[in-house]
Amino acid sequence: MLKMNNISRIYRSDTIQTHALRDFSLTVNSGEFVAVTGPSGSGKSTFLNVAGLLDGFDQGSYELDGVNIKGLNDDQLSRLRNEKIGFIFQSYNLIPDFNLFDNIDMPLRYRGFNAKERKRRITNALEQVGLSSRGNYLPSQLSGGQQQRVAIARALAGEPKILLADEPTGNLDSLMARQVMDLLHQLNQEGSTIIMVTHDPDQARAIGRNIQVIDGQITDHSIYAPMTDNAIIEVSA
Amino acid sequence: MDMFRYYLKLSLRNLMANRLFFSLMITTLAVGVGVFLANIAIIKTMTNDPLPNKSDRVFNVSFNIWPNNNPSAKLLPIMRYDDAMHLLKNDIATHSMIHYQSQVYTRAIDSKTLSRVKAKVRATTPGFFPLTDAPFAFGGSWSDDYATQVVLGHRMNQQLFGGGNSVGKVIDVEGKPFEVVGVLKAWQLKPLFYHPGNDQAFEVIDDIFVPIETAINNSWVVQVQSRSAERIDSVSETRGKNHFFIHAFVQLDRPAQKIAMQNYLDDYSILRQQGGEFLRENDNRLLDVNQWLELNKVVDERMLAFGLATSLFLAVCIFNASSLLLARYHSARFETGLRRALGARVKDIFYQGLVESTVIGICCAILALIFGWIFLKLSLRLFPDLEHISDIDGSLMLTGVAIAMLTSFVSMIYPLLKSCHGSVSTTLK
Repeated sequence: MLKMNNISRIYRSDTIQTHALRDFSLTVNSGEFVAVTGPSGSGKSTFLNVAGLLDGFDQGSYELDGVNIKGLNDDQLSRLRNEKIGFIFQSYNLIPDFNLFDNIDMPLRYRGFNAKERKRRITNALEQVGLSSRGNYLPSQLSGGQQQRVAIARALAGEPKILLADEPTGNLDSLMARQVMDLLHQLNQEGSTIIMVTHDPDQARAIGRNIQVIDGQITDHSIYAPMTDNAIIEVSA
Repeated sequence: MDMFRYYLKLSLRNLMANRLFFSLMITTLAVGVGVFLANIAIIKTMTNDPLPNKSDRVFNVSFNIWPNNNPSAKLLPIMRYDDAMHLLKNDIATHSMIHYQSQVYTRAIDSKTLSRVKAKVRATTPGFFPLTDAPFAFGGSWSDDYATQVVLGHRMNQQLFGGGNSVGKVIDVEGKPFEVVGVLKAWQLKPLFYHPGNDQAFEVIDDIFVPIETAINNSWVVQVQSRSAERIDSVSETRGKNHFFIHAFVQLDRPAQKIAMQNYLDDYSILRQQGGEFLRENDNRLLDVNQWLELNKVVDERMLAFGLATSLFLAVCIFNASSLLLARYHSARFETGLRRALGARVKDIFYQGLVESTVIGICCAILALIFGWIFLKLSLRLFPDLEHISDIDGSLMLTGVAIAMLTSFVSMIYPLLKSCHGSVSTTLK
């Protein structure tokens, strides 16, 4: 599903070069749930931006769902983002004066679906996250957890190949965080491929596969028995 | 089409959500476009071709007449009665006409009131009507050169008879009856090319047209620049005298006609020189309508300077609107970034901006036309001689809309490009 080989991402200013990612290699198979952890500034978000085609890379190769990313133009990258990737942001990133229906509708518009198809997908997505009766609500009328579920619905409506979540529970209290995580686990069990950046070690351990990023490199790669007592069954660096 | 409707909905939502901001921006642009439009309206009137179909075939005739034979003086565009009559007698031109302007007081002979109205008179020849393409609503020109007959202008016909077909009715002009033989439709030459001097270029069309012989016989006063080398006590004494007051125009449809006319003028000049007149070297001119208007400096140079100032003002308004939009797009970076992240292409963002620019342009156009009309009325206080004919007509309204749309687009283009090419990843968390 996702295959990165020796990816480097360097930010340059007049005097400084910062290696945000260096020789970053990762393969994520279809149906996997991967947690990415690491301290602030370690390169987690850069990895997610590169994986989500929001940012480019300087060296290496990247294949998403069999498509080689290198050399694609803006139209092609936008189409890939729209069709294959679902984003879930820490700050939900809902447009405040759009109701839930219109927020979820936005990426579907760029996909060129007709009104009937868009409505079907939006209705299904809202049902999946348990908000089917609130399509006309504004984001401000919902709790943080509900807003994040709307963001997940927006990501799901496009039926993406992979969900990229950047600290999706970072702004939520523990109860709401739990609900969102339960939803993500449920989606994974239903077949969704998910990569999630998190600071929370408990959340990470509850996810089958963990990678730790420090200084733009993968320093620890662990596979846990999913949803058990967090016993390590395999460790590789 | 579906996306266009979506972008339109987004644009209207943005406008409503940021009413104060967009009101400020649209007003800024509309003021600039309005001032510019008002200025264009005046300059357009000044530079208008009054006879667009044949202005290059209608010529003013100037003999080499110099005031007091002063070589530094400007050539006089007026001629004596005898010169004018001589000119009319040749059959070179397709149409010829001579004229002078006068003024009378008149009333309908069967009017219940005795009050008279002031009327601007064009004492001329029948060739005036086909040469100027004057449109008759009723009737036609007079039957002979000395007839006590008149053609009424639309405005005078309204004033005396309330409009309608007044042919056959009689008016009292300076105590004498004149039969109405023709009525013109509402008609305006912009500028009034046959009489551009004495600040008359932007006057309304004449009220009464009368045979020049009749006007002279009745000593109707000459209201044009005139020169005289002999004493005359009334206009009726101008025949055979060195009194210069008549303008002449000819329509020469073919180049051969123009050559023939030039030769005719030169031969006539030589003949007069041999008779002891026209002492200077021959300088007989046939200036077409636009050359003639240029010679008379119909376009006010102050207006051109004002035009430059309004263009600069419009540029400042565009810069202001652009900087306002730049701030607006900066604050909308989140939404743009989100749309990009969720699959919008750069061109989608650009199209959305173009639709928004069109909506702004339409609002701006409506407001600019209102401002333009107001500014025009204010400007005409500076140029009162343009008062009657400068207006924002259909073509200028379209021009105004086009300028408003263009300025809206120009002011949006830089902020839009900046917004389209911003980094997506830095705007989202």
